[in-house]
Order: sequence, then structure tokens, then C-alpha cells
Amino acid sequence: MKGAFLSPAAMRRLAALAVVINGLFPAVWILFTSLKTERELTQTPITWWPHAPTLENFAHAFADQPLALFVFNSVAVALLATGLTLSVATLAAYALARLEISYRNTALSVIVATSTFPLVTLLVPLFETMRAVGLLNSYAALVLPYTVLSLPVCTLVLVSFFESIPADLENAARCDGCTRLGAMWRILLPLATPGMFTAGILTFVNSWDEFLLALSFNSAPGLRTLPVGITLYQGEFTFPWPVISAALVVGIVPVALLIVIFQQRVLSGLTAGGLK
Amino acid sequence: MIRRLGLAALASLVFAQVASAQTNLNVFVSPQQQPQLMRKAFDAYEAAHPGVKITIQSGGTTSELQAAYLNTVMSAKDSNLDIFLLDIVRPAQFAAANWTVPLNDQVGDAAALMKTYLPAYADADQVDGKLVALPAFADAMFLYYRKDLLEKYNVAVPKTWAEAAAAAKKIQEGEHNPDLQGVNFQGAPIEGTVCTFLLPYWSQGKNLVKDGALTWDKPAALKSFAVWKGMVDSGAAPRNSAEIITEQTRKDFQAGKSVFAVLWSYGWAQFQGPDSAVKDKVGVAVLPSVDGGQPVSCIGGWQWGVSAYSTHKKESIDLIRYMSSMDVSRQLAVEGSLMPVFPSLYQDPAVLKATPWFANALPVVTAAKSRPVTARYNEVSDIIRTSTNAVLAGSVGAEEAASQMEARLRRVLR
Amino acid sequence: MARSWRDPSEQALARVLLAPAFALLALIVVYPVGRLLLTSLYDDSLTSGHAARFVGLENFQLVWEDPSFWSALINTLLIVLFTVPGAMVAGMLLALVANMPFRRKWPVRLALLIPWALPLAFVGLIAGWFFQSDYGIVNDVLRPFVSQKIIWFNSPTLSFAAMCMAIVWKTSSFVAMILLAGLQTIPADVYEAARVDGASKWQQFWQVTLPLLRPSIVVAAIFRTITALQTFDIPATMTRGGPGDATSTLAMYIHQTTVDFLDIGYGSALAVVMFAISMVVSTIYLRNLRTGN
Repeated sequence: MKGAFLSPAAMRRLAALAVVINGLFPAVWILFTSLKTERELTQTPITWWPHAPTLENFAHAFADQPLALFVFNSVAVALLATGLTLSVATLAAYALARLEISYRNTALSVIVATSTFPLVTLLVPLFETMRAVGLLNSYAALVLPYTVLSLPVCTLVLVSFFESIPADLENAARCDGCTRLGAMWRILLPLATPGMFTAGILTFVNSWDEFLLALSFNSAPGLRTLPVGITLYQGEFTFPWPVISAALVVGIVPVALLIVIFQQRVLSGLTAGGLK
Repeated sequence: MIRRLGLAALASLVFAQVASAQTNLNVFVSPQQQPQLMRKAFDAYEAAHPGVKITIQSGGTTSELQAAYLNTVMSAKDSNLDIFLLDIVRPAQFAAANWTVPLNDQVGDAAALMKTYLPAYADADQVDGKLVALPAFADAMFLYYRKDLLEKYNVAVPKTWAEAAAAAKKIQEGEHNPDLQGVNFQGAPIEGTVCTFLLPYWSQGKNLVKDGALTWDKPAALKSFAVWKGMVDSGAAPRNSAEIITEQTRKDFQAGKSVFAVLWSYGWAQFQGPDSAVKDKVGVAVLPSVDGGQPVSCIGGWQWGVSAYSTHKKESIDLIRYMSSMDVSRQLAVEGSLMPVFPSLYQDPAVLKATPWFANALPVVTAAKSRPVTARYNEVSDIIRTSTNAVLAGSVGAEEAASQMEARLRRVLR
Repeated sequence: MARSWRDPSEQALARVLLAPAFALLALIVVYPVGRLLLTSLYDDSLTSGHAARFVGLENFQLVWEDPSFWSALINTLLIVLFTVPGAMVAGMLLALVANMPFRRKWPVRLALLIPWALPLAFVGLIAGWFFQSDYGIVNDVLRPFVSQKIIWFNSPTLSFAAMCMAIVWKTSSFVAMILLAGLQTIPADVYEAARVDGASKWQQFWQVTLPLLRPSIVVAAIFRTITALQTFDIPATMTRGGPGDATSTLAMYIHQTTVDFLDIGYGSALAVVMFAISMVVSTIYLRNLRTGN
């Protein structure tokens, strides 16, 4: 092996370190910023470590706006959208991957096509639709469009996943007396856990990120989501980075926890699924 | 007997109508425009007008976020909002889209009414002879300067941009500080950069738009580019001026990094704050003019408009008449340091007691001009800001930028 | 077909399973998209002072002649050209590392996903701050190596490069997630077999991993390309399209036309053009997805 001065294990660890730094650096920078005063931020040359760490920005972030409520709303909307998307996408993906249907490619194209319209041009008609069905200022006003936003990518991910799993396993289960959907539930879905996880995370984060719909459809203060809520810390001209950073940190923590917990579940699910 | 019963029925009918005549007015105010102060004024109004109930709604903090919200709601012809507080550059567009109602019928002599306000508002709030909005509070651009440094080098407050550049160079050299900026202004592709371009242009006595038609003056435009780009090239203004946004100007000056700052009124309170490195070292003055030109400023501030989809237009107009009255303007100035829209209030004892520096602001706000009043202002703004930004970044020459600007402006404004 | 059983009710079952998805799409998308197609045929500018009027395909004629459209389109295609392969390669590297057998996997997984959990608009703001000439961390790191501070946003090329870096950073997580899921389904015995045949790690990657990963790669590429064509938030908050209009994208132009300029008809026509481009691209990709098994 070339470059023998490093063992494969050490190289792996080095690669992991690079990935961790690349991914976490901006988040860590935001954390540092949240501990600095605004005056420290305008020093040049810039400082890395906060000179006099302060928690004042966090106090401000919670005192000035109902930050916990923003986080709660965002988590609720994102989880509801994730649940709905996964259910709908799994059924559709199963049909597209496992059933003999003549219009399969047309159906796939239509599903993909819906994701190619820029959201901003759909904003006003969507607003009218939501008003017509009386959903403005409700979780549903966001959950439904978010589901549709993520449905195409999730369906495609799951289709390609289901197709990569041999149908023989399900057939065997069917011979053992399972119904078709029973075989899907007991055999296919456990094997497709990584795909489900991916689709779930995709939806969760897409919903977590969204701004424009959240701003326009849920203007009631009690229903604001985090991305909209964070903009409330800025003024017409002022942009207080330290306080906004503190709010961002508070917002990232639940997502990070969710990721750590979920990925452990998924790993154990994998081994239980019997896939080597 | 029967008649009496009939009367009672009639009375109860009338009574029921009075009860249902409770008018709910929904007012759009940004969370950053001191809604608690507005609430106080609304409470006073409600007390004087039983039967009117006012609710504050909001959506988005900055002018751009509010526009994104309002454009969605109004494009969908939503009747939920009755009144909105608009950035000064928007009434013309809202009026053209038929989103606001003309106020003329209910204000009597509109021309006489508008004469009571700062002069720029007569331009900004009247479109094609129709009054479409009423001023809530004012804003303008000022020259902030470092009193201590000007005194140290015995430099007078500059009257022209050439004097400002010379003063900046003198102080920069004297301080031996390569990081000390001279004149800090906005050059990023943002709304503030429209004012940057217009200040020297206006100072030459030229207008960009008159009665909705383009009155382009190419030499004046080139002179404006020359003023700013000249300062950037000579080092009198930061080399990175093309990336400076409004908030950057405020932060740089507040950190003691600039001798001069071209900035809105919000800077003053921030510079006097506990986090400021320049507390008590700041002076404020009228912006410099070009050589031989007149002093000008760019007017800002917010206007009350009534939605065309409102189901209570009459009551709404009555409310915004109150909100744009002298009493409310004084109250907003005293309790919220929002700049008054009436010239006389800049000498009002109560106002000056709360914010003494407003005494210096009168010549600035009276010299301030309104940005082009046209339904297609956003397109005009986009043309001006991208061209000015490109010139300051050095990616397009001034001559070429001016020609492109003219061609694009002619397409928009016929 | 090589199915071992045939179900007479297969068509009916398929319809039942697909119904919820298409019902949702219909509820949310059909009316807006229908209206979009219709308004693209009208001269419907709210600031014009006259009512909307039918003009047929005139808006598309105007799009063809509009220099701002072409410059925005070219910028957008350049973003696709640089950031799609960029994010695919970076995402592949991230996924390969995340799939390595570490005892504790969560630090890498977390690092993979955090870029994604930062709301898009804030990534643009943070990236803009990182590349800012005075207070940015990039210039702080570069200071020992350059004589004068670099003003990234003064140069069209450097602005564009900085923007592409930010986009690749933000979007490679998405790619990595999809590829990682694909990697996890490749059974270990396939590699075992390749090793027995004497294939090096490099050969294993090209001959085993890539072919088996193809469906995931296609899915990631389709959606990365569609989102790259729709690039909006990062340039809007990071460079604001500057200097001049050097980093202004098609989606920004559509947003400006509809939201700022209130030219609904023309904005709809631009959106339809963008839709047509996206569809051409995704159809090509979808052809590749068909040979799934």
C-alpha cells in the first residue's frame, strides 16, 4: 500500500476529522459568535475564541421573542410533514417499484415535474387555495405544501431503494401466507430502513428550512416557525449577529439531537433486518 | 299597543345594528416599528371612538420582507387587512396596482394638507394628483462625523464632497492608521445605494424623474459616479465600498473605524449606546454637496395607506388621518425617537427635551428629496443600484454604466 | 416479465396506492400551475395601470429578446455546471467516509447533516460574512499568504466562485444522504467476492460501488440539478446578485419580476421557460433510472 507511513485506520480517522471540521465549522463559528459582544465582532483582526464569553445573547434571544415557541412550531410542522410524506411516498413508491403498471414512467415524470416550478411563482395561487379551504394560520397550511415539496424526491428515493431489494424475499413471504401489503410491511420496509430514514430526514430538513410559505401563510404570532421567527430579531437596518447566532444555536440543537437519536435507531434496525 | 310593539321591535333592530356596527380594523405594522407605541395611539383612538376595535397584524421585519408578504396578500385580493404602514418608496406602486384607495375625498384640500408636512412628502404621497398615503414618521440621511478627530486636525465640517475627501485624507495621514476609513457609505446592491447615487446627482439641481417621465442628465450621473469612485480610488473611502451595506456603515463608524459616515437617523442612538466606541465623539450635519451645488438628503420614513379591499374604508381613512396628525407625530417622537413629519415639531420643546439632536435635523429633513415617484420604482431602483454597485466594484466603467442605465431607464419609463 | 406471481387486481391496487400522492399533488399543485400557464399568456402587469389582456405567446417573444433573461440564464447554467458535479463529488466523498466502520458513527453523521439544518437563507448570510473583506474568516486565514486583503465581492469571478463554494458546501449534505443510504444496501459479500478476485480498493470502487450505486446517483443528480436551476437564497443573501448582475440567477429574476416589479404575466412566462428547461433535464435523467433492477 502506498503512503505506508499512515495505517489505514489512521487515514480513516483523518478523513473523518476532515468531514467533521467541514460540516461543523460554520455551526461552531455561530456558537462562538453567540458568546461574543457586538463590539468584539467589529474588531480587526477578527477574534476566533470569544474574549469575554457572555450568555447575554441567549438571554436576549429568549426575552425578545418567543423563541421556544418558534422551535416548537418548526418541530411540529416538520414532524407532521415527515410523517405524512413518508406514508404517502411509501405507498406510491411500492406501486411504482413492484406492480406491473403501464403508465409507470409517465407517473414518475409527473411526480418529478411538480418539483420543477419555482415556489415563488406559485405563492399567490397557493395562498388563494389555502384561503379557499380555510387553512391559513394553521399547521396544515404548511404541512400540506411541505409534503408536496418533498414528495417527489422521497418517492424517487424509495422507488430506487425498493428496486434494489430482490423481490424474491417478498415472494417467499407471500408463499408463507402473507398478503401483498403484509409482505411489504414485514419484509420490504425493514430492509429499506436506510431509504426510509433518508426520505424522512430529507422531508424534515426541507420543511425545517422553508421560509417564504411560512412567512406568507402563517402570519399569526403564535404560529411562526423558526426561520421566520429569527428574522424578527433584525430591524429595518440592524442585524445583530450575536443574538441571531444565539437563536440559530438554539434552533440547531433539536435537529442535532434528532439526528443523533435517529441514526442510532436506524443502525440497530439495520442489523435487526438481517442485512449484512 | 301594536304600534308600541312595533316600535320596540324597531328599536331592538336598530340596537342590534349598532351592536353589529362594531368595526374591526386590521392594521399592518412591522414588529420593528414600535408596535407598542402604535398600540398606545390606537388605544387612545379606540377610547374616543367606541365601536372601533383595532388589531395589529405583522409579517416580516425589513422593508423587503414586508413587501414580500404584502404583495402575496394583496395579489390574492385579501380583504383581511384594512390599513398598512408602507416604506416611502412603495405608495406609487401600490396605487398603480389599485391596492390603495385615493384619500382626496375625505381630507378636504389635499394640497393644503400636504403643505403642513415636510416638503418631500407632498411628492412621495401624491401620484397623478391623487393623495394615496399619509406620512407616519420621517427619516433622512445624515453626515455623521467624528467631532474629536475634526477638532484634533482643525478641520471644519465639510460642505462639499471634495472637502470631505480632503479632510478624510488629512486625518488618515495624521493618524498613521492604515485601517482608518475616511468616508463610509453604502455601495452594495441594496436600496440604500440608490440614495448614494442620487445624492450628488440631485445636488447638481437635477431630477431623475419628473411627473412620471424620465429627466435623465448624463453629465450629472457621470459626476455622481466620479464623486464616489474618486473617493474609493484615492483611499478617502474604503476600497471595499461595493460590499458595504447600511448596517456595515453603522458598525464601522460605531467601532471608531471611520471619520465620516453617510447614514440614516437610526445611527445616532446607536452611536450613543453603551456598546459604542464613539460615544460623545459624534457630530451630525447636512450631507455635503458637489462643488457649487445645493445640499440635499434622501428622505425615508413610513406612510399609512388604506387597502382597496378593505370593507371599512371610511373608518380606516379616519384612523390614518388621526395617526398622521401632529399629536401622534409628537408622541412618536417623544416616546420612540421617531422623526416627526411636521417641520414645526423639530422646534417643539417636548420633542427637543426627549431628543435634543433633532434640532440639528431640521435643515436636513427640509432639504431632503424623495426618490423617483413612479409605479415602476422597483425597476428603477434595481437599475440604479446594480449600475452603481458595478461602477464602485470596478467591474464596469462609469461611461458604459451610465449608457446602460439610460437605456434601461428609458425602457422602463418610456 | 420475471415475476413469480401475477395478480389480477394489480392495476386496481396500484391505483389505490398512488391515489393519495396524486390527490395531494392535485390539491396543491394543479390549480397554481394551471393558473401560471394561463397568466403566462396575458399582459398582466399590476403597475401598468390597465387590466390584464390576452397576448398569446408575446411574453415568450419578449423573454427571447430580454438581455437580463439571457444573462440570468447563463449565470444559472454556470451554477449548474459547477455546483452539480461539485456537490456530487463532495457528497460522494462525504458518504464514503460516513459509511466507514467507525465505532462511534454519530459525529460524522452529525457533521454530514448540520450544514443542512442551517436554514438556507442564513447559510447565504453566513457565507457572505465569511468572505467579507474586513471581518471575514477567509481573509483572516489567507492573511499570511497575500500582501493585500482580497475583496471578493468586487470581482465578478471571485464573487461567483465564492457563491459556488457556499452552494456546494450546503448541498453536498443532500447528495451524501442519498448516496449513504444506497451504500448501506450494498451487501458486504459483494466486496468479499471482489477482494477474492484480487481487485484493489480503487477497482472495487469503480467496478462494484459505482454500478450498484447508480440508482441513488441518478436520484441525487436529478434533484440536485433541479434545485441548482432554482438557485435563489444563497446568492440573494450572500452577493445580492452583485457586483452588478454578475451573480444574479434566473430564480432571482423571476422573484424580482413577480414580487418586486409585480409583472405577473411576464414572471409566469419566465417560470414556464424554467419549467421547460428543468423538464428536459430531468427526462434525460429519468431514462437512466429505468433500468433500476
